[in-house]
Amino acid sequence: MFKILLDRKEPSMEAVRKHQNFQEILAAYNYQKKVNNPWRYWYYPALTICLLLLV
Amino acid sequence: MPLQFSLQQQSFLPSEERTQIERAQQDPRYFAPLYERYHDAIFRYVYRRVDEEEQAYDITSSVFVKALQSLHKYEYRGLPFGAWLFRIAKSELYQSFRDQKAQRTVSIDKVVLKQVIDEWTEDYTEEDKARLLVALKDLKEQQLQLIEMRFFEKRSFKEIGDICGMSENNAKVKTFRAVLKLKEFFHQKE
Repeated sequence: MFKILLDRKEPSMEAVRKHQNFQEILAAYNYQKKVNNPWRYWYYPALTICLLLLV
Repeated sequence: MPLQFSLQQQSFLPSEERTQIERAQQDPRYFAPLYERYHDAIFRYVYRRVDEEEQAYDITSSVFVKALQSLHKYEYRGLPFGAWLFRIAKSELYQSFRDQKAQRTVSIDKVVLKQVIDEWTEDYTEEDKARLLVALKDLKEQQLQLIEMRFFEKRSFKEIGDICGMSENNAKVKTFRAVLKLKEFFHQKE
């Protein structure tokens, strides 16, 4: 079921722009990309093994 | 006055936009001009469909994150970039309704409501207004979406078709049927 709102006041363009900016979106995207990277769990163990092998 | 969100109001040329998209596909930092152009329209599209402002901001933000994640898949084949973003917004919105994170809301301006009723009855009364609101609740979700976009947001059939993934003609026919249904429900409530 939905709700009906009559003559609802909308925030101004300025207010919307102040509330959200592209840098936040880009940061969220970069974070998601980092979290979703399947290699992130393997990176440090692989690096450690390589270093041990070198030693 | 109802706010207009028309995609056709954008003054940028598709070729310029295409260049911006190609640059953004190489480096997401170049997505900024596209974000600036469409953010407000997407936010208002979402805002009119959820009951809380903060949820509208959250959904809008996830729309743009999703857009950045799938930007490499976007290919210009006649579907305007704005419509592609609206499709993501639509899918994010319905996901949040399914997850019960947001309440489905229909925002209507009384002026528009009066315009619709004026076409069907001779004298507009408060009772008619109440009847139309009840009749709206009897519509199926897709019919409601079409009525919402065509009458409450004044979108063209081309835009409606692009957003809903159907041809302009199909959008016209389906909207016409939705109006007939609404009219039928409206008169049933007499």
